[in-house]
Amino acid sequence: MKRLILEMGTGNDLYGEDYTKAACRAVQDAIHHSSLVLFRSLGLSHEDMQVNVTIGVQRPELVDTQKVADELPRGHAVVTVVKGGLNVEDTDNGTLSVIATAAIEACLDINPDDWQLSQ
Amino acid sequence: MAKKKVAMELGMGTSLRRQDYTKAAIRALQDALWHNSLTMADAFGFSREDMIVEVEIGVQKPEEVDIEAVKAILPYGKGSVRVVHGGLDIAKPASKNPKNADGANPDGADTDNTVIANAAVNVFFDMQPAAGKGART
Repeated sequence: MKRLILEMGTGNDLYGEDYTKAACRAVQDAIHHSSLVLFRSLGLSHEDMQVNVTIGVQRPELVDTQKVADELPRGHAVVTVVKGGLNVEDTDNGTLSVIATAAIEACLDINPDDWQLSQ
Repeated sequence: MAKKKVAMELGMGTSLRRQDYTKAAIRALQDALWHNSLTMADAFGFSREDMIVEVEIGVQKPEEVDIEAVKAILPYGKGSVRVVHGGLDIAKPASKNPKNADGANPDGADTDNTVIANAAVNVFFDMQPAAGKGART
């Protein structure tokens, strides 16, 4: 498997303390800053794409990984959650804002021998 | 086969106080580029310098964008920049703050518009299937 791209994004849930929602928003931010046009241009299949999603939040155990995986429109997604992101606590007002980071690798089995630069 | 588009990257940038369309364009381009790490050249066994990078910027005053300054942001590949009428300018509300009554802007730099630039980066390789390979296209 060759990595085509690493997409990065961030998402938050400002007042709901919903780590899954923040993670899903981070995924949406990550995937909508780019498009893998080569699938269309080169006639490749999305089905063969492996998608490795890593989410960073302060409370990894509260993320519903299935819901996060459902955010990915194509390919086979595997979601891993680690401790990261950032929680911003406002003690004056008693609120907690949850920030999630998403890093998404899209990988495809490409054989470099199948392709060459045009001369 | 010839020039094949392999990726598109999108971004947004602003100039909040100085109406600097070039700076907004540069920030939009950086937003587009630095949200992603493209590793396709390596996947295909090509060099990053083989990438053809076509940048399109949208701002309300295209003639004010320094194209060479925008192009200088591109880290590698064969780059080109095109600027079209787009983006968005938003007028600021007039300051009614009495504390700002004289010498309203501490640095004298504030202007009437907030400038927003859009950037799209299209990445190509001039590529084809190797001899006897890649019949999938």
